[in-house]
Amino acid sequence: MATLLMKPDETSSYAPKQTYFSPYSFNGGTVLAIAGDDFSVIASDTRLSEGFSIHSRDVEKTYKLTGTTVLGSCGFHGDVLTLTKMIEARLKTYKQHHQKTMSTSAIAAMLSTMLYYRRFFPFYTYNIVAGLDDEGKGCVFSFDPVGSYEREAYRAGGSASSMLQPLLDNQIGFKNQQGVEKVGLSQEKAVALVKDVFISAAERDIYTGDAIVIQLVTKDGIKSERFQLRRD
Amino acid sequence: MAAVAIPTATDLQIGGFNFENCRRNVVLKEKGLKEPTAYKTGTTIVGLIYKDGVVLAADTRATEDTVVADKNCEKIHYISSNIYCCGAGTAADTEMTTQMISSQLELHRLNTDRKPRVCTANRLLKQMLFRYHGYISAALVLGGVDSTGPHLYSVYPHGSTDKLPYVTMGSGSLAAMSVFEDGFKPDMEKQEAMQLARNAIVAGIFNDLGSGSNVDVCVITKDKTEYLRTFDEANLKGQRQGNYRYKRGTTGVLKTQVKKFDYEVVGTKVKGEEKMETA
Amino acid sequence: MFLTRSEYDRGVNTFSPEGRLFQVEYAIEAIKLGSTAIGIQTNEGVVLAVEKRVTSPLIEPSSIEKIMEVDDHIGCAMSGLIADSRTLIDRARVEAQNHWFTYNEKMSVESVTQAVSNLALQFGDDDGDPGAMSRPFGVALLFAGIDEKGPQLTHMDPSGTFIRYDAKAIGSGSEGAQQSLQDVYHKSISLKEACKNALTILKQVMEEKLNSTNVEMATVTPLKKFHMFTKEELEDVIKDI
Repeated sequence: MATLLMKPDETSSYAPKQTYFSPYSFNGGTVLAIAGDDFSVIASDTRLSEGFSIHSRDVEKTYKLTGTTVLGSCGFHGDVLTLTKMIEARLKTYKQHHQKTMSTSAIAAMLSTMLYYRRFFPFYTYNIVAGLDDEGKGCVFSFDPVGSYEREAYRAGGSASSMLQPLLDNQIGFKNQQGVEKVGLSQEKAVALVKDVFISAAERDIYTGDAIVIQLVTKDGIKSERFQLRRD
Repeated sequence: MAAVAIPTATDLQIGGFNFENCRRNVVLKEKGLKEPTAYKTGTTIVGLIYKDGVVLAADTRATEDTVVADKNCEKIHYISSNIYCCGAGTAADTEMTTQMISSQLELHRLNTDRKPRVCTANRLLKQMLFRYHGYISAALVLGGVDSTGPHLYSVYPHGSTDKLPYVTMGSGSLAAMSVFEDGFKPDMEKQEAMQLARNAIVAGIFNDLGSGSNVDVCVITKDKTEYLRTFDEANLKGQRQGNYRYKRGTTGVLKTQVKKFDYEVVGTKVKGEEKMETA
Repeated sequence: MFLTRSEYDRGVNTFSPEGRLFQVEYAIEAIKLGSTAIGIQTNEGVVLAVEKRVTSPLIEPSSIEKIMEVDDHIGCAMSGLIADSRTLIDRARVEAQNHWFTYNEKMSVESVTQAVSNLALQFGDDDGDPGAMSRPFGVALLFAGIDEKGPQLTHMDPSGTFIRYDAKAIGSGSEGAQQSLQDVYHKSISLKEACKNALTILKQVMEEKLNSTNVEMATVTPLKKFHMFTKEELEDVIKDI
């Protein structure tokens, strides 16, 4: 929740007071997406917290947008809620205007403009869009809070992103590994890897835990899976 | 006249704190230097008095900002054989403070040839903390049994103390206290008291993000102290499916360099004791 | 004759008792005064061809523009009050760019037409929308483009109605030209053939003698996108007709 901070007045009660309004808070959460040849996986933990408190152990931070696109969004939950609502509204109007469902890359481009629109009062959200592209290949788009975005093979965002990203670089990108066969990920391996790295993140990041929800996007649709994490 | 060597901070540590760098650090801070962060024990610590003595309990998580720095640290510190002290706050402060009071109390015991009393430990702690105006971030739960019976104190960083039958401290103190308020009864049995203390810590572990991992318990009675490290493993680590061991040679060698070590032959010696092999 | 229905052709948005909007109908009539424009859709792409009325030898023919580029993949031919078309083409261009900017994809021909049609309907004699036209636009448009559905040809008239066509003629010679199009069109027509047919039909309906300066022709293909024919390219086609 946003907080109103007042600096205690140290001199006199008649002295001018300066009040500060802090419109943001951080509600934790980690999202992670991996693109495969003909699939993509996107997962988030389900913990919603603030400071040292847990608000909820069961809030999914992945949002199914279309039959081939899923958004992962975390940061300030109030902004996440508003942003996802706005995206959903835009998806509907797009369909009404153009008689087709938005492609994953179009959603990514649109999200970028929506975020940059608030360049000087940004949505405090870390976003990752995952799905299938126009050719049916897995794709992942990652964003910063003001709309910079790029297509990548894998990406971690949010609270434990700085712990997970180097691990993904090593395990999927084969960074700092010599003489290994650079094989593509299968669906099963990708899902297993997602679970394993979240287990590790929950060990060390206090804002990641409780459970994860994994969304597997293929041409046959989106399959959702839940996996328990430690709850401390 | 013999020259008097002036000791500097690097070659002699005298008692008390060293404030030499205070002015320098203020300037550095003004110029934008970020101060290093200390380990904190976000922490849930509790204590309660039961029929035969005192139960102390603590979680085992240490954090540095939002990262878990130690998953199984010890927060129940030794003061004397009949007194222990749980610490919350900056890890270094709780550790050093309890150690200093422990050593002072040991000297006191040697001088007086009496078992130290809990009220003495309490007085030493609060006087030391008060002297530093709260800058020593140590919030403590002090408990023990002495000649006058079981005693339990909570000690705040500024030096104030409470003497109560059940206390909680740290970021998880509210969660833990809710369990105590619900379940505390005077003169409980040992098992019941340990279970209640454990439940209070578990409430902190699960509901406070600053607390986590396992439960440590310490039970002090008139003639025995039981320190139960990892009394309860509240959280089991997830079972990973993948194998993340690298094959030998995966890590690249960027550069190798062979250097010849030059030496001078100062002397040679023939060892005569061993018989030459003639067989 | 005018006196009898003067009650209903004053207000641009006033229906007559017979359910007609006279001003809109007059606007559609205005198109029939315009120069002829033809569009033909083929499997390889779409061709647009228009006649330019060079009414004086002192006119600089290249300053008469009746085919315009909306985006890389969409062109537009027009007939009627060409000045009115500027506003509509402007809107089409802005919408196409805006769509590309927002979604990083090409806007479909139908969506562009829809956007322009929305503007075409925003006329009225009240002060409701400052900047809006007080009368219907007196111009008809032929949108030709390539999108995910393939080659597309759409016609839009001043009422904002838009309909997709395989081949369409607008302007003064449209009646005869449309009949000729019906005769020559078949589903497997090649683009080259279509270009030739377009000019042949234009030649038939034009008052002046067709040459490379008094016609404009453009194609939209997947490979070359929007392409305006040069004088040389035009002559190349003309010599075969």
